[in-house]
Amino acid sequence: MDLEQLRKTAAEVASREDVKYLVGWKPGTYGYRVAPAFIENADGAAELIFSPLCTANLATYLTLVEELPVPRGQEPDDRKIALMVKGCDSRAVTQLLVEKGIERDEVVIIGCPCPGMIDDCLLAEKYPETEEPAEVKWDGEDFLLIRGGEETKVARDEVLAEKCRLCRYPNPVVSDITLGEEVETWELGEDQGVKEIEGKGVDERAEYWAEQFDKCVRCYSCRNVCPLCYCQDCILDRLNPTWVNRSVNFSENTAFNIARAFHLAGRCIECGECERVCPANIPLGKLNRKLAREVRDKYGFEPGVDPDAEPFQASFKPDDPEDFIL
Amino acid sequence: MSADFEPNIVAFLCNWCSYAGADLAGTSRVNYPSNIQIIRVMCSGRVNPLYVVNALQQGADGVLVSGCHPGDCHYMEGNYYARRRLGMLKDLMEFVGVDPKRFHMSWVSASEGHKWKEVVEKTVEDAKEAGPFEGFRRRQIDW
Repeated sequence: MDLEQLRKTAAEVASREDVKYLVGWKPGTYGYRVAPAFIENADGAAELIFSPLCTANLATYLTLVEELPVPRGQEPDDRKIALMVKGCDSRAVTQLLVEKGIERDEVVIIGCPCPGMIDDCLLAEKYPETEEPAEVKWDGEDFLLIRGGEETKVARDEVLAEKCRLCRYPNPVVSDITLGEEVETWELGEDQGVKEIEGKGVDERAEYWAEQFDKCVRCYSCRNVCPLCYCQDCILDRLNPTWVNRSVNFSENTAFNIARAFHLAGRCIECGECERVCPANIPLGKLNRKLAREVRDKYGFEPGVDPDAEPFQASFKPDDPEDFIL
Repeated sequence: MSADFEPNIVAFLCNWCSYAGADLAGTSRVNYPSNIQIIRVMCSGRVNPLYVVNALQQGADGVLVSGCHPGDCHYMEGNYYARRRLGMLKDLMEFVGVDPKRFHMSWVSASEGHKWKEVVEKTVEDAKEAGPFEGFRRRQIDW
């Protein structure tokens, strides 16, 4: 994608009168880091980037923003928020529209067709991260790592993020402005992670997940980063009734992880943020993808595609599968 | 597991059909296993999937949710929602390694005392096969 075009468009949007600020990506302070950028006027647009390191889903900032009470005599700031989205992020926005988490006229969506993102952990394994800022570009099928004046070609298969291997919507499903050309969808591999677990017996699976959930430190990063976990009154914070105890042990961790995954059943748009931010490296993406696949195969429902759809868990069809019922 | 293992089963029954069905089984003197602890709820759609998880945490070896037949719900559509949600929960629990024999769902109407007996027998039999639930049950913590 042409960065000049991106910055020009962003500057135009950010200087619009009805736009409060624009959320995009900018280079982080070191290595492969990329940080979110909140741009309030045309000048700030110069630092924006869109590179294979822009994995973060910015849609979460739509609901994460703190809404302070408006002082008496002042009008609330109802200006729009402009947001740069990749394919998966745009699905999060669509799902938010479905759930009335946001209204369509509250956002300006700048779509960035995405040829696939890098998993920075995989990249750091091959090319250890240094303090020196690095730049990564798309180079045909592969990636180009530019650091200290040196250019290194990185094969796509080696560093492509798992969510992108299984991505079916690289182009934004909803956008006001689309930057650059639409990308072609690529051939999808099979979801090996989920398939491998499904191939195990029940006891083996329990053992596998026991090992994973035991690592959980209950930091709730997965909840906080998720663009679709935005309940103001989350069951995890609630004490009366206490749905999930706060103690960090295997039983409560499992209950928490089941609850988290279940609350995203039929809502998760597979942006992979929960797994990316998890400090304990729990493969949360597998749980989410498994549920997303069940929802797709059994109920023929796909979240975040149609803004006029009914929410999955708040609707039903008379002929839903009931083969599990005695 | 020992042959004389008696499972604890928590059953969430809807007030209008299944609870009345279980009541009918009682008044008709139908014999069925006594492993079941019934919790009456107003509708199967009221059963939060986390109830099931919580019951297992607190020492249940199996959970049964029972409601009206589709189309018969007192609240018109509560059991349809329950079917969707609990169906997903069953898939999820199976995926994280909870034996699918531990969680059952059934439709029992107020006139089906004998069906209730069959459902309970099946649930208890399955829970016995699966054995005591040790998975993510809460352990007593020694301070």
